[in-house]
Amino acid sequence: MIEFSDVGLRYGNGPEILKDVSFSIEPGSFHFLTGPSGAGKTSLLRLLLLSLRPSRGRVTMFDQDVSHLDQDSLLQLRRHIGIVFQEFRLLDHLTTFENVALPLRVLGQAESEYRPNVIELLEWVGLGERMHALPSLLSGGEKQRAAIARAVIARPKVLLADEPTGNVDPELSDRLVHLFAELNRTLGTTIILATHELPLLERFAYPRMALNKGELTIHA
Amino acid sequence: MLSRLVDLLRQAFHLLPRGVGGAPIVPEKSVAGRTLLLLVTIMAFLSAATLGGVVLVQKSAIAWSADVGRELTIQIRPVEGEVMESNLRTAVSLAEATPGVANARALSVEESQDLLRPWLGQGLDLSAIAIPRLVVVQLADPVDADIPALQRNLGAIKGASLDTHAAWRQQLNTMAGTVVLSGLLVLGLIGVATVLAIIFATRGAMASNREIVDVLHFIGASNRFIAGAFQGRFLSIGLQGGLLGAVLAVLFFVVIGMAAGSVLPSEANAQVGVLFGHFLIGWEGIVVILAVVPVMAVLTAVTSRVTVRRYLSEAS
Repeated sequence: MIEFSDVGLRYGNGPEILKDVSFSIEPGSFHFLTGPSGAGKTSLLRLLLLSLRPSRGRVTMFDQDVSHLDQDSLLQLRRHIGIVFQEFRLLDHLTTFENVALPLRVLGQAESEYRPNVIELLEWVGLGERMHALPSLLSGGEKQRAAIARAVIARPKVLLADEPTGNVDPELSDRLVHLFAELNRTLGTTIILATHELPLLERFAYPRMALNKGELTIHA
Repeated sequence: MLSRLVDLLRQAFHLLPRGVGGAPIVPEKSVAGRTLLLLVTIMAFLSAATLGGVVLVQKSAIAWSADVGRELTIQIRPVEGEVMESNLRTAVSLAEATPGVANARALSVEESQDLLRPWLGQGLDLSAIAIPRLVVVQLADPVDADIPALQRNLGAIKGASLDTHAAWRQQLNTMAGTVVLSGLLVLGLIGVATVLAIIFATRGAMASNREIVDVLHFIGASNRFIAGAFQGRFLSIGLQGGLLGAVLAVLFFVVIGMAAGSVLPSEANAQVGVLFGHFLIGWEGIVVILAVVPVMAVLTAVTSRVTVRRYLSEAS
């Protein structure tokens, strides 16, 4: 599904942020992406999200070499990828329902078409009664659940999460990772979750991709 | 009152179709949006006021030119040995016998003195001075009137000359044409300034909504979709600003018309009235002013769409 071969990344003429990164991800798998701050986790996630192109090496996603794709084709591929950020990035002027429905609006679906699915998903993540609330009225955990719901509403094949537990307490962190695990199990969504929280890694036995100074090692 | 008008407009624009989905993706209330609305309103007002001014001048020039064109003046200077009253009667007869003339009338001594009063002042006894006398000739049809024949016939009266006001009309038309051309030039400059200001305001709005653009990109929105979301917002701002500017311009002409009537002394008001028709722009003027609304909306929407697309291509 995803394959990186000897991928290197540098910004402009700066030093290489990622060096000879090679790995492959199978459909339906769950991986942690770990490493200290500045190790290159966010850069690797941006490569996976197709918002950056590698400086060298080959990136294959969904059986396509992304280095030769034009903007439109990249856009089509990006629609198979969901993303969750540490800082939630919900649109403040839209309600929870409208935020979660956004990817479906982007796909051109009418509200009558997507409304039942959005409500069902919001209830599944425990936000059924908060669907009309603006993000400013939600707690950190609720915001992150809304962000996760937005990321998966269009049924992406891959879900990327960049430090999704960074702004919530440890108990809620566990519940969020359980939610990702549930998505992985029930929907078969491939998940790559970036975190630098060691206790979390110890509690969940998923394979780890560890980045250190731009070099990647895989721990099964 | 203005804020109430803005609220009413906002409520009306909420009724506009929003496309698939419902809630607007670009927030309706933002500092950049309010700045752009104010800017479009000012530009629409300036455009509408300029257009109204051009219409006013052109209407007055046409009306004045038509009035003057329907009238000729025979001037009879006092000549020694000639009897003025007799010459006046001859001139009136000659004029009335000319094809295309509706009627001719000699101005009385008092009327002639009244004409001189603005230049010579009040209270001057002009009865001792032999002043030229005028015969006002109204034409039934300026095109068919045989003015050369009248000119030839008047040669029989010593001291008589015919003024067709052609020089005045030409000057008036030149002046009106210059004002209209200047107005159109100003309108063109306002248009260019509007486009430039919209470009800067749009880029400002895009920068302040950068988070929305990024999120839309991350969830797989195309540049076309994002530009469409922003264009809808800018079209709405253009319509609101255009309408507000046009309404303010109409109010401006109404207030100016009323002020000219009440502030200026009656004589000055009469002169201004002769020149500008009491600042009444009429229905055609209002239609021209209201035409600013769609033009401003389309200009705002198209300019901002091009700017947004360019911004998004640069960003990606």
